[in-house]
Amino acid sequence: MAAEDLPSEFDVVILGTGLAESVAAAAFSRVGQRVLHVDRRSYYAANWASFTFNGLLNWIQQYHVNELQDWSSLLEDGEEVIYLSNPDTASIKNLQVFCFTSEEDEKEEEASSSTPTNAAEDHNINADEEAVKESSETESAGNTVTNLLVAIDCIISEHSILYNPCNSPENVPDTARVSKTGSYFYLRLMYSRGSLVDLLIKSNVSRYAEFKNVTRILTYRQGKVEQVPCSRADVFASRQLSVVEKRKLMRFLTSCMEETEEQMAYHGRPYSEFLRDQQLGDNLEHFILHSIAMVTEHTLTEEGLASTRNFLQCLGRYGNTPFLFPVYGLGEIPQCFCRMCAVFGGIYCLRHSVSCLLVDKDTNRCKAVIDSRGQRISCSHFVVEEGYVGPERKRVATPPRFISRAVLITDSSVLSSNSDQQVSLVTIPPIAAGCAAVRMVELSSSTMTCMPGTYLVHLTCQSSGSAYEDLSPLVSRIFCTPDSPDQGNTQNCPSVLWCLYFNITDGSGLETEGHDLPSNVYMCSGPDGGLSHENAIKQAEAIFSKILPDEDFCPPAPNPEDIIYDGDATASAEGEDKEGEDKEGEKENQDKLEEAVLTEETVQTATATSTLPSG
Amino acid sequence: KMAIRELKVCLLGDTGVGKSSIVCRFVQDHFDHNISPTIGASFLTKTVPCGHELHKFLIWDTAGQERFHSLAPMYYRGSAAAVIVYDITKLDSFQTLKKWVKELKEHGPEDIVVAIAGNKNDLGDIREVPMKEAKEFAESIAAIFIETSARNAVNIEELFQKISKQIPPLENPEVESNDSFKLTRAPAPSTRRCC
Repeated sequence: MAAEDLPSEFDVVILGTGLAESVAAAAFSRVGQRVLHVDRRSYYAANWASFTFNGLLNWIQQYHVNELQDWSSLLEDGEEVIYLSNPDTASIKNLQVFCFTSEEDEKEEEASSSTPTNAAEDHNINADEEAVKESSETESAGNTVTNLLVAIDCIISEHSILYNPCNSPENVPDTARVSKTGSYFYLRLMYSRGSLVDLLIKSNVSRYAEFKNVTRILTYRQGKVEQVPCSRADVFASRQLSVVEKRKLMRFLTSCMEETEEQMAYHGRPYSEFLRDQQLGDNLEHFILHSIAMVTEHTLTEEGLASTRNFLQCLGRYGNTPFLFPVYGLGEIPQCFCRMCAVFGGIYCLRHSVSCLLVDKDTNRCKAVIDSRGQRISCSHFVVEEGYVGPERKRVATPPRFISRAVLITDSSVLSSNSDQQVSLVTIPPIAAGCAAVRMVELSSSTMTCMPGTYLVHLTCQSSGSAYEDLSPLVSRIFCTPDSPDQGNTQNCPSVLWCLYFNITDGSGLETEGHDLPSNVYMCSGPDGGLSHENAIKQAEAIFSKILPDEDFCPPAPNPEDIIYDGDATASAEGEDKEGEDKEGEKENQDKLEEAVLTEETVQTATATSTLPSG
Repeated sequence: KMAIRELKVCLLGDTGVGKSSIVCRFVQDHFDHNISPTIGASFLTKTVPCGHELHKFLIWDTAGQERFHSLAPMYYRGSAAAVIVYDITKLDSFQTLKKWVKELKEHGPEDIVVAIAGNKNDLGDIREVPMKEAKEFAESIAAIFIETSARNAVNIEELFQKISKQIPPLENPEVESNDSFKLTRAPAPSTRRCC
């Protein structure tokens, strides 16, 4: 734990621990590149992060504003400086937190804390540094539920990551339990097929993570939440479909797997039109368009069909729906890739940043970076999370794209069933013309993200206004909040105990080309609004193949059982007592070892691919 | 036939106290002065009998992420036990034990078995940490305590035996397994892999 100096030379320096950066780190380290991976934050996974409650509190204490320092004295001849910025200031805005607690619960709370709280607190805090400093100071001494909630609010407003508490003051009056288990994460599901799953499996990084299936797909229609039958089993078991509908749906799902002339005729025309002409009826049309293809009324037929096929191909791979959810949240996944990087010698340093890049004027290449301690570290390549790069140097979509998000803690499921451990994806078509479609995910405590008896709900859509404007009308319809229009009608609705709204930059807004950066500097974007992670994986792979076109991207790591410490080989390198040479010796052994592993696994992968069912 | 139970064990402690040497000695009965722990080993495994069960230890090394205090929370997830190692010849490494205990409390599972290992006890003549003090500290946090020497193979087996004994036997194997799973090459839609 001593404050050691970092080595001063690396092949690749990576700043930011989001998914794309972490995958790139693993890929480079895996093939023997010397990787330094740093993040200014005190936690992994950047805007994809997961948190515990205590982690959050520590974060407050550790937070310091880094003054821009002048490192020009470290410049060598022919170099100029590019300063980097704080990634967290621009990516989140419009943050609002609401805490709904009833009178009764409040008494309990007050008994355990001396701080009174309002029945409904509405914190609408702008990223005003002064205000934030003040409030975090006042709150830092306290350790009660009330204080904690306020503290989260402050952090988020200033620093912009998004966390959802899994415990609520109402259900968890005793503070001990609260500080123990809270877990906050950034919502993402994963399709059970696709770049990320393939990569996890191919690289053996999948060893580090566990998953749950999304157990059901729901939709919201005519004021009601209903289950979408999507697998063969669902269709047959469905009680809401008539026999005729069941037959039609099965026939449609089977037929759309293959490209037909009939489909071709609809190319360039809306998918909704194609579906209407299939005479499926309103029910089925709705299910297919909104919940299976998850597209809009205006999406073209070819795109709609592709989405439908993707959905069907992902079905049944691991369970009844096409979606996976990483236990503890998606924030685990970047950490898993970081571990892979570390296992192959990558060096990790959180709370550590790069202040600026030193660029050779003649070649326009970044020769070295200056870290936040003022150390000059030379590198051949520099990979950076978008947020660290100032707006004047990057090209993004105009106007900038944002995603609206809401995170709720509720006391019951939107659709009760025989199990209280459902993990549900709810697709919600636009509730009015001009509104965006909303995706909602409801997690139960089995995902390790919330306390038993509570549910964690995420709502996501493309922003048109602030997150509150975009999502709160829907929240008050589906859930019971003080804003709910018809209190009498919401008796059976889940109550919202706590909720948070915010907007986050849409990672898909970052252009791939045209940034004003040195030729060996590569930028990775944050999460986007979609359900797939193709973007992040593709970015990492593109960067990797640009730098090392002939190397394999994330080949499988050896199985633990296959690793043998070869005493003699290591001993021969050991005499030199030099880190670099030691490594090379090991690398050789390891390469031999992996060759064997690799061939075996390639065969396995090949057979696996050919035997996969297609629907 | 005895049931095999996989138990994740994570190692903690400052750089250079001998974490990897302990694993290497335990798993392969091998000691190397210059072993580099991070040669692609996600974790190492060894199976030992314990009562009516077989305990397959999956021993996770820090992979150097402790060096700049940047261990990821995923490192602790699902651990049945943690071994916190210090070097008996380095007082500093004992003083930071408390930090590791704190970190474990924060990120580790609630019911984790904690063991404290004072390594390098073959170097007794340059000892800086009195055994009594370390033992008392371990008792104060209800942790297993043992002094080890990975070099001379002293108390390494014993360390893991002690851990094994503290792991509560499975009352009902059905209850323990929840339905989370690992992604594997051969997709098995019908039979879910439990962990």
